[in-house]
Amino acid sequence: MSDELFNREEFISYFRDEAEELLQQIDADLLRLEEFVSSGETDPEIVNSLFRALHTVKGSAGMLGFTDVQNLAHKLENLCDLLRKERMPLSESAVDLLFTGRDLLTELVEAAIGTHEAPGGVDEYIRKLDQFTSIYEETAHVIEGRMGEQHSFDEAAAAEEEQVGNVDVEAFEAEVARLLAEAESRKAPAPPPVPAFEEAPPQPVAAVPAEPVRPAPQPPAPAAADKAPAKNGEQKRSSIHQTIRVDIERLDALLNLVGELVINRTRISDIANTLERLMGTKGTNGQVMANSGVIAPLAKDLADSAGLLARTTNEIQESIMKVRMVPIGQVFDRFPRLVRDVAKARGKEVQLVISGAETDLDKTIVDEVGEPLMHLLRNNVDHGIEAPDEREKMGKPRAGTISLNAYHEGNQIIIEVSDDGAGINLEKVRARALKQGLISADDRLSDREIVELIFTPGFSTAEVVSDVSGRGVGMDVVKRNITRLKGVFDVDTVPGQGTRFTIKLPLTLAIIQALLVRVAEELYAIPLDSVIESQRVEMSDVRTVHGNEVITLRGQVVPLVRIAEFFQLDGKRDPDKVMIVIVGLQGRQVGLVVDSFEGEQEIVIKPLSDVVGRIAGISGATILGNGSISLIIDVHSLVSEAYSGGKVARAEFSGV
Amino acid sequence: MADVKEDKRQQLSGEVVQVVSFRLGSEEYGVDISQVQEIIRMVEITHVPRAPRFMEGVINLRGQLIPIIDLRTRFGMSRIDATKSTRIIVTEIGSKRVGIVVDSVSEVLNIPIENVEDAPEMIAGVGTEYIQGVGKMDERLIIMLDLTMVISGDEKRELDQLGEQPVAS
Repeated sequence: MSDELFNREEFISYFRDEAEELLQQIDADLLRLEEFVSSGETDPEIVNSLFRALHTVKGSAGMLGFTDVQNLAHKLENLCDLLRKERMPLSESAVDLLFTGRDLLTELVEAAIGTHEAPGGVDEYIRKLDQFTSIYEETAHVIEGRMGEQHSFDEAAAAEEEQVGNVDVEAFEAEVARLLAEAESRKAPAPPPVPAFEEAPPQPVAAVPAEPVRPAPQPPAPAAADKAPAKNGEQKRSSIHQTIRVDIERLDALLNLVGELVINRTRISDIANTLERLMGTKGTNGQVMANSGVIAPLAKDLADSAGLLARTTNEIQESIMKVRMVPIGQVFDRFPRLVRDVAKARGKEVQLVISGAETDLDKTIVDEVGEPLMHLLRNNVDHGIEAPDEREKMGKPRAGTISLNAYHEGNQIIIEVSDDGAGINLEKVRARALKQGLISADDRLSDREIVELIFTPGFSTAEVVSDVSGRGVGMDVVKRNITRLKGVFDVDTVPGQGTRFTIKLPLTLAIIQALLVRVAEELYAIPLDSVIESQRVEMSDVRTVHGNEVITLRGQVVPLVRIAEFFQLDGKRDPDKVMIVIVGLQGRQVGLVVDSFEGEQEIVIKPLSDVVGRIAGISGATILGNGSISLIIDVHSLVSEAYSGGKVARAEFSGV
Repeated sequence: MADVKEDKRQQLSGEVVQVVSFRLGSEEYGVDISQVQEIIRMVEITHVPRAPRFMEGVINLRGQLIPIIDLRTRFGMSRIDATKSTRIIVTEIGSKRVGIVVDSVSEVLNIPIENVEDAPEMIAGVGTEYIQGVGKMDERLIIMLDLTMVISGDEKRELDQLGEQPVAS
């Protein structure tokens, strides 16, 4: 029993992954298909791909008893079948219907696996879809009947009678009239199904035309259709990549073990070093000296071996880190659809050009970077790209271009989002900021500082709040998310020519360079990327502002936070001096007071939240070379908490 | 109230309960052996600031971070320094691994289920919510702990304890 349950769970997890991939592919196919709408022709390859993907979703859902998913996938498959057989011309409404269906299918899949509430409106949609497809199914028969091809009129009429109850008769008649007119206006009469299949690629699916066109609008013959897509799917997969799906937790477990290996390696190196040092010193103990002739070569062997072990361990660690890397294309894939939808909603024409989708970075970052990028793209379409007419007036092509580009640079990944739109209107930004009270009229701001204003929480230039953007959430969230990922965010804008956002992110978050400090006997790690400098300051240089300690650093007043006190540790204050680590965060500087500096080290971050819950000021922990644990200080939360709720805020305000 | 206790006792299934027994002060306790992963000697515990008070800190167990609960603090007993016999019982409940610090570990006991009785209202200040029952072995009384409760705890108690900590000023 329990085995069966377990298997089902595994199946569901597989289904989830598979469905996610297929739905993504369906989206991509639909976007490509949409490009053909203007020509009215259908690219059989795309439609086949769509058909196959829907069919696989249907099959898998059926196996797991997700009848809602199965049902909808089946209906969508029917629509694709009509397109595939060219019984239905490719139209905007058909593609829109497919897009909506795809979204509903996604929600149904999520509901089936329990990650989402069941969506509403499915029945209504299916009714609409049925009506839509039945029109074409009927029409096709009627046309065929009229042309006397392969069908007796009676048969078509019988089918018509069968279906007519479900059909909005008026719409049906209108469609028939339209279709007939369309068929006549084309050079050739409406292409009969059979020749169409000859044009189709020589895939197993092509075996289907051997049977005459099905008389009734029933689901495709299961047997023939079942085999074909499966085979095609396999071929497609193996031709692209040889990959294997691995649970990220297993990778983490592997990384843990390697961490353990690294610790032991360090110990062995220590022993080897100690031994070698002992050999080198002329000790007073005669016995050690007497044995040294035997031990010396052994000590050297041990040192060599330890060195080799160190190299191999490092390589293993690096390899595992590489395994965690996935192409950023995983995130980029959903953007064409997003841009299409937003552009459509805002009446703009936008072309999204993606490059560097194969650039890889750590899975955890890939998962996190999607949202900020999505906000950015929305903003670009909404605020960056001008309306088509406006663009034409300015001598630009009607359709704006947004390029999304990713590439590696050293130990970082650079993601650029640029558009050829209006650029950021500095005057407008300034005026808006003034109106919203973010700056005062006498503030003299450089262009750069004005651009920075768009990242202020609550800022929005949009005159009217749209459902897309302009609610004042967005750019500040984007920046915050990027900062949280230890990334850097930059904007270049040229009025009238466009804007470029540049995001620099570390390739991985799992290993960082850190400064180790000692506070109340315990070791803490401070991520080096937020450390500006560390210094020893005489107590006589520490001033107090309303009882809160500050120092003056190159003319700037920097508030101090005593870590021991922040964490309520039993620390002793040194009456003569303080050791200070200056950390910077979004332009704000804070001096963290520690007991001593213990050097820099590369550390592997282990999350702490799983075991003890979230703790303000601590972002994780790491295991040091000697096996002891060091907590990692979360500079971000420590600084903001100190600023918002604590003494720093008071010190700053009263200091002004 | 009686129903709740009855339910707790019912959780102990089978004819014999196998427990790992340990000492905490003058009392002897037991935890179901299936929940015990391993027993290790006291190691250095890294204090985690601002964690709930009964959370002693974390240890490094072969590269994994394991949170440590001091049962004495959890049960409101006085704290003592670690001795040679102090042990950490590493338990696994659900997918959570948690170590609990005890004064000493005695042995594995097989207690016939008929010798297990409902917990009396109060035992040495330990709330009954943590207790599954009391096992009798000759003259010994083994307080059988419900580790799930010990680890998750009722939220109210946890909050109360958090509230006792001075607020950062």
